[in-house]
Amino acid sequence: MASAKADRMGSHRLVRLPWLPPFLASDHPLPWLAPLVAMLVAFGLYPLLYSAWLSLHERNRFTRQNVFVGLQQWAEALGDDRMWHALWVTVVYTVVCLVIQLTLGLAIALLLDCERRGYGVMRALMTLPLVVPPAIAGMMFLLLEDGEFGVLTHALVGIGLLGRDQPILGTAGTALAGVMLADIWQWTPFMVLILLAGLRSLPREPFEAAAIDGASRLQAFRYIALPMLGRVIAVAVLIRGIDLFRIYDYIYVMTGGGPGTVTETLSWYAGRAFGVADFPYAATLSLITLIVLNILALTFIRVARVRF
Amino acid sequence: MRHQRVTGILRDICAWGVVLLFMFPLFWWVLASFKPYSAIFSTTPVFFDFEPTLDNYRVTLLGYSRVELAFERGGVGGTTGGSWSYYAVPSIIQSVVVAVGSTALAVTIASFAAYALARLRFNGQHHFVFWVLAQRMMPPIAVAIPLFFIFRDLGLRDTLLGLILAHTLINLPLAVLLLKSFFEDVPRELDEAALIDGASRFQCFRLVALPLVRTGIAATAVLCFIFSWTEFLISLQLTTSIRTIPVKISTFVTSTGTEWGFITALGSAALVPCFLFILAVQRHLVRGLTLGSLKD
Repeated sequence: MASAKADRMGSHRLVRLPWLPPFLASDHPLPWLAPLVAMLVAFGLYPLLYSAWLSLHERNRFTRQNVFVGLQQWAEALGDDRMWHALWVTVVYTVVCLVIQLTLGLAIALLLDCERRGYGVMRALMTLPLVVPPAIAGMMFLLLEDGEFGVLTHALVGIGLLGRDQPILGTAGTALAGVMLADIWQWTPFMVLILLAGLRSLPREPFEAAAIDGASRLQAFRYIALPMLGRVIAVAVLIRGIDLFRIYDYIYVMTGGGPGTVTETLSWYAGRAFGVADFPYAATLSLITLIVLNILALTFIRVARVRF
Repeated sequence: MRHQRVTGILRDICAWGVVLLFMFPLFWWVLASFKPYSAIFSTTPVFFDFEPTLDNYRVTLLGYSRVELAFERGGVGGTTGGSWSYYAVPSIIQSVVVAVGSTALAVTIASFAAYALARLRFNGQHHFVFWVLAQRMMPPIAVAIPLFFIFRDLGLRDTLLGLILAHTLINLPLAVLLLKSFFEDVPRELDEAALIDGASRFQCFRLVALPLVRTGIAATAVLCFIFSWTEFLISLQLTTSIRTIPVKISTFVTSTGTEWGFITALGSAALVPCFLFILAVQRHLVRGLTLGSLKD
């Protein structure tokens, strides 16, 4: 049996692949990377350059031609209060969600890090929100937060936190929080999952030593576990932060940027300009989103020394 | 001892409380899909005090006409809205084709690239990996706007092939970085032994490394499938007649009212494959969600 297997392996070794040109069988990385590079250039880099080209033009509404105008769109965007407002909303949304998801995620991860019966099931259940399409998660909360028949509205009115005439998503003061709630529900499990994995990979010895030295569990967590989780937290914050900054789906299904422009984020504003056929301005706004996000992410990667 | 038992039980109660709180939106969603019209729109929440119905599923998945069903019931129930089509099976098929196609393409392209990145050394490799990662930072809207024009010129707009290519693009960074981390788990010595025995690089890849990362490839494929299945913005902007499921559902919010019954029915059906898949790859989920940078 074993020799038959060895024979098979051996015969494989002798197979020449005559259809393969010699350089493809070499150690040169080019043939291996060529398909990836082709895809990324054709549908990643070229569209980016196209966007940049588009952002230097103006669309004539009558002739539907793009006319070169230089940096006019960029000047307009930088002087556009609505753009700054959208950037502000995006930053607020990202930071608030990130902080809540991280703290809540850490608390839940600590709670679920246990070997008693049922905890495996709970950990599996907590991963389910992650795979709900964001557009559907937004709708779930649209249903819960509906001003007339939403069960969450009903509960909040019941305990007196909300007036009957204030639909959560239709009131300027609460609309953004209403959208954030969907994000927090869907993505806190992301933090839970990653932090749980981090907690479980910690070595036991430092904790035993600390216990012998008389450290409380809180101290052990604060001074041993938290520093050791640093790298895990950095990766989680980076990936979550990137996704939060690009938010679009929840806004689309829940508020449409309203009421007014209260929940209008950069991505949404760009999508809106695209929707009213102001293509060059939409391209400019989407590039601004991209640039700001890249600067933030690269700084974070540098500072937190995240490696891939 | 007794003290420990009490805290243990308290912990159980807290933990189940939190988990059930997180399950509530899902529960409420699925429950709504079995509710008749009147129970969904009741201003006092209806939990179990309603007659369960499959009408919402019959309209969205089996193509019954909503008016037909209303007549069957004696003409009661919601019949607002026009002759909008709520039949979603074509959408489901389109979603499956796009997700499977883009997954296959992304995993194929990525496995070659990932092997090279894990095994071969070349100048600027670090920058190259970074470029791939930077693709993951692209806001979908920044991809959708130029692709709209490029696809229009190439005749790919509103085609399944176009959508497959777009989804492949957004899945590639994940697939490359994740598979790279799986290939890095395979001991380098195996490749070297094969090379000394006279195997070519391609044979090393095909006969040594690839069989050893089979589970990694499965996990990557599952995650790519899920991300394509749940993708919204790009599908929305690049298509008009083709409708992936999330986009299709968003069209049920009409100017004459939101069809919660149909939305929740189709929405619940769309969750089933995701839930089955995610439970199958639990083991590699953390690695997948962090693009291979954290191993579990």
